[in-house]
Amino acid sequence: MSGRRAADAMVLLLLAVWAVPYFWQVRTSFTPDRELLATTRVTPAHPTLVHYRAVAEKSVMPRALGNSLGVASLTTLLALLLGVPAAYAIARLPLPGKSLLLLIVIASTAFPQIATVSPLYLLLRTLGLRDTWTALVLANTSFALPLLIWLLAGFIREIPIELEEAAFLDGAGRPTVLRLVILPLIAPGVASAALLTFLAAWNEFLFAYTFTATEASRTVPVALALFPGVFEIPWGDIAAASILASLPPVIIVIALQRWLVHGLVAGALKD
Amino acid sequence: MTARERADRRTGLLFVAPALLALATLTVYPGLWVLWLSLQERIPIFGIAHFVGVRHFAFLAVDARFWNATRVTLVFTGVSVALELALGLAVALALQRQRAGRRLALSLLLLAWALPSVVTAKLFEWLYHPSAGLVNVVLGGHAFNWLGDPRLALPGLIAADVWRTMPFVALLCYARLLTIPPEVYEAARVDGAGRTATLAWITLPLLRSILLVALLFRTLDALRAFDLMFVLTGGGPAGTTETLTVYAYRSLFQTLQLGFGAAIGCVIFALVMLVAWGYLRALRGEGAAA
Amino acid sequence: MRRAAWLLAALALAAGCAERPRGAEPATIVFKHAKILGPLDPIPGLLREFERRNPGVRVRSEALTWTSDEQHQFYVINLDGATPTFDVLLLDLIWVPEFAQAGWLLDLSPWVTRDELAPHFPAAAAASVWNDRVWGLPWNMNVGVLYHRADLLRKYGLAPPRTWEELVEQAQRIRAGERDPRLEGVVWQGKQYEGLVVNVLEHFWANSTALLDEHDRVLPEPDRAAAALAFMRGLIERGVSPAMVTAGDEEGTRRVFGDGRAIFLRSWPYAMDLFEAADSPVRGRVGIARLPGHAGGAAGVGATGGFHLAVNRRTRHAEAAVALVRFLAGAEGQRAIAEAAVALYPTRVDLYRDPAAIRAHPHMPRFHALALGGRPRPVTPYYLMLSTTVQPEFSAAVVGVKTPEQALDYAKRRLEYMLSGLR
Repeated sequence: MSGRRAADAMVLLLLAVWAVPYFWQVRTSFTPDRELLATTRVTPAHPTLVHYRAVAEKSVMPRALGNSLGVASLTTLLALLLGVPAAYAIARLPLPGKSLLLLIVIASTAFPQIATVSPLYLLLRTLGLRDTWTALVLANTSFALPLLIWLLAGFIREIPIELEEAAFLDGAGRPTVLRLVILPLIAPGVASAALLTFLAAWNEFLFAYTFTATEASRTVPVALALFPGVFEIPWGDIAAASILASLPPVIIVIALQRWLVHGLVAGALKD
Repeated sequence: MTARERADRRTGLLFVAPALLALATLTVYPGLWVLWLSLQERIPIFGIAHFVGVRHFAFLAVDARFWNATRVTLVFTGVSVALELALGLAVALALQRQRAGRRLALSLLLLAWALPSVVTAKLFEWLYHPSAGLVNVVLGGHAFNWLGDPRLALPGLIAADVWRTMPFVALLCYARLLTIPPEVYEAARVDGAGRTATLAWITLPLLRSILLVALLFRTLDALRAFDLMFVLTGGGPAGTTETLTVYAYRSLFQTLQLGFGAAIGCVIFALVMLVAWGYLRALRGEGAAA
Repeated sequence: MRRAAWLLAALALAAGCAERPRGAEPATIVFKHAKILGPLDPIPGLLREFERRNPGVRVRSEALTWTSDEQHQFYVINLDGATPTFDVLLLDLIWVPEFAQAGWLLDLSPWVTRDELAPHFPAAAAASVWNDRVWGLPWNMNVGVLYHRADLLRKYGLAPPRTWEELVEQAQRIRAGERDPRLEGVVWQGKQYEGLVVNVLEHFWANSTALLDEHDRVLPEPDRAAAALAFMRGLIERGVSPAMVTAGDEEGTRRVFGDGRAIFLRSWPYAMDLFEAADSPVRGRVGIARLPGHAGGAAGVGATGGFHLAVNRRTRHAEAAVALVRFLAGAEGQRAIAEAAVALYPTRVDLYRDPAAIRAHPHMPRFHALALGGRPRPVTPYYLMLSTTVQPEFSAAVVGVKTPEQALDYAKRRLEYMLSGLR
């Protein structure tokens, strides 16, 4: 069995090496400026919190974290609100022109953001929504919603129709069936789809960069990209900001691996 | 139609209407509008808006910068996707055989994928630093100018992208491998199949459809990729990492020419749709044959 | 410590609320400007003085983001179709025609006569006017200059070079004599951004050509332009300039020269104050000269730059905003900036002979002559579009990925396409 153990350890080691770029950034975030060029050590000789302090006190990151949290949460909420009923209707109900609808939904997931960003820019400009959370939530919904509908429709189709029919025999209407029968059964799928949506909205950069102008609505990726360097690039501060910026997604992904695997498998295999 | 079916139809329309409205306004309408924009000279801040027909497309057809961007996009996509698939498959196979520490292994793997692309860009910008960057240190202290040398920037960009997206492919393959019942391998072993034979004749064929799905997703994502190259290199040095998306973005929001930028966007749109259509036909062929 | 600060703030707020007489709300105008670093910032003092002279007006100061590109994006997003959140703004002078054309600036002509513009440098005054109307007032001035190590030139009996070719010879001679491998010849800004366009334009002008001629024709003499670009590339290939200039901006190159590692530097007036700082390695050893010309071309000329004050067209307090602009750009406002010894140079010509100002900036008379001879970049609302279009081409030529001819050929085609679409 030791051969298996050795192989296991080898795989873990190789994966740890793959993750080294991230660990190096963690290390950099605790390294004082004068040691940044001394790369022969694995850990800094005098670890310091000065970069984190600088990011927390002097940069726009705290505000940006708040913006990202708000925008990502609202996007997920809106997408679920709109997407769950729609997914159910597509999966179960007789709709006129359903195949066309499905085609639109699937095609929408492939729309390149770079193509839709200019019309969205004009639209948001007309509505006077630039530099607001609303703008980003709407823009994110444009790609989050079709993806969510497609994933959830797949989950719903997996549920045996007999369960719903039993509920109809008991006199329940469609909305009740959706709420009391379907939702509890697809809850894991909904959770993973919601998490994926939250992640996608958190990490989104192109729309956020284009539609925001000040820290009133700047999200974390934009704040990081525009991290100010007065004279030279503040690598330590940027590292600290990067680690903070990636904490929510990393925590979500690591802690909820099982949900993610479930979501990706179900969605991807249902083709 | 029964009363029940009529009721169902009403409910269906009710359920789908809000989402449909949102999709129509935010996705479909812009998708059509960008086509209209590409036929105009449109510079909003100066109030310039007039129809010019296919003028932009005619210019792009002979535009050296456009063809350079196309080449960069195709090279980036081809190399990245090939590497991601090969490495992702290898990792998935290794994970399948893992006994101890699977959760830890998955966590380490998913770290790279979880990060926002801007974080990855900043991470690699620091790794590629000519004097203080880890890459040059590991390579023995040579001061390669990764992001400033026209020959090294694109490979450097591709490496960053593969680092970031390989876990997704690995995850897809791994999830599929989990659904293969162990009896299949039992039967193979009983039949006397060795490791390589099992891999080639049992595992890989079963993975075929998921690999095609991964290929589709990754190709579409690579064609549309923007964040990483924009933040890491800005398309430089001298356009060696300028993909079609970066070219489009610069035209749109640096030179504020929405019409011209929309035209490039339409080309990307068409390219993506073509690839998607092609793959879906191949997948359906797979489904029919299986 | 933090709690004390909160308490103080709360007290101040309460005091402020108590002081304000009922029914006489002051008009608050918001001034958007780039922050001046350090304790010598004269702006707060000036704003308080303005409030003192204009009772009933409060000025709130808001900082702009750091880089020029970000400031531009901020203004575009906030001025185009949005409600105004600021009244007075600080603009890079290359944006004045653009913002005027876009209808974002208040036409100052009813208040500001040409006489009021007369005390400023001609280039600065000209940059305030577009289509015969006044859109802004000049606030600080910049002009491209050649810094050189006066001590080294003296040692080898050399006078500041009059042509770039002479500069190269001098650099090579000095480097051969000094035998210091870390001593570079000349550093300049070659990164792909607006600064590169400035450097290239200066070389074009030194070679008797330009990007746009008087009839808005693009690159009227492509051969001369290609020669100028080839010369710039040649500086790097011959090792007269280090490879880092292709990623060099103002601060990056200023540091190289300021650490004593270069003989010549092309930069702006602000750098001089930093070279003369107490802890500067090159203190007392830096000379200022006019930019060189090219052999067979014209005399050297520096590009002008600087910031202007303007008023948002949608302001609700036009009178107060205009008054603030005229105050800051006026004699008193500019004098305060000149005497503050921050690295900003005023645009009022008479200050360059003023003893108090000269005490703060001993080199002002020198910059005076150079500023008078400065040349503006193309004055057009489409300047930013032009610049962002040619930046990648100039960069490709400087980095060596394209030949100058290829780069300019493409730039010409692209610019002509763009300009023809605008008409």
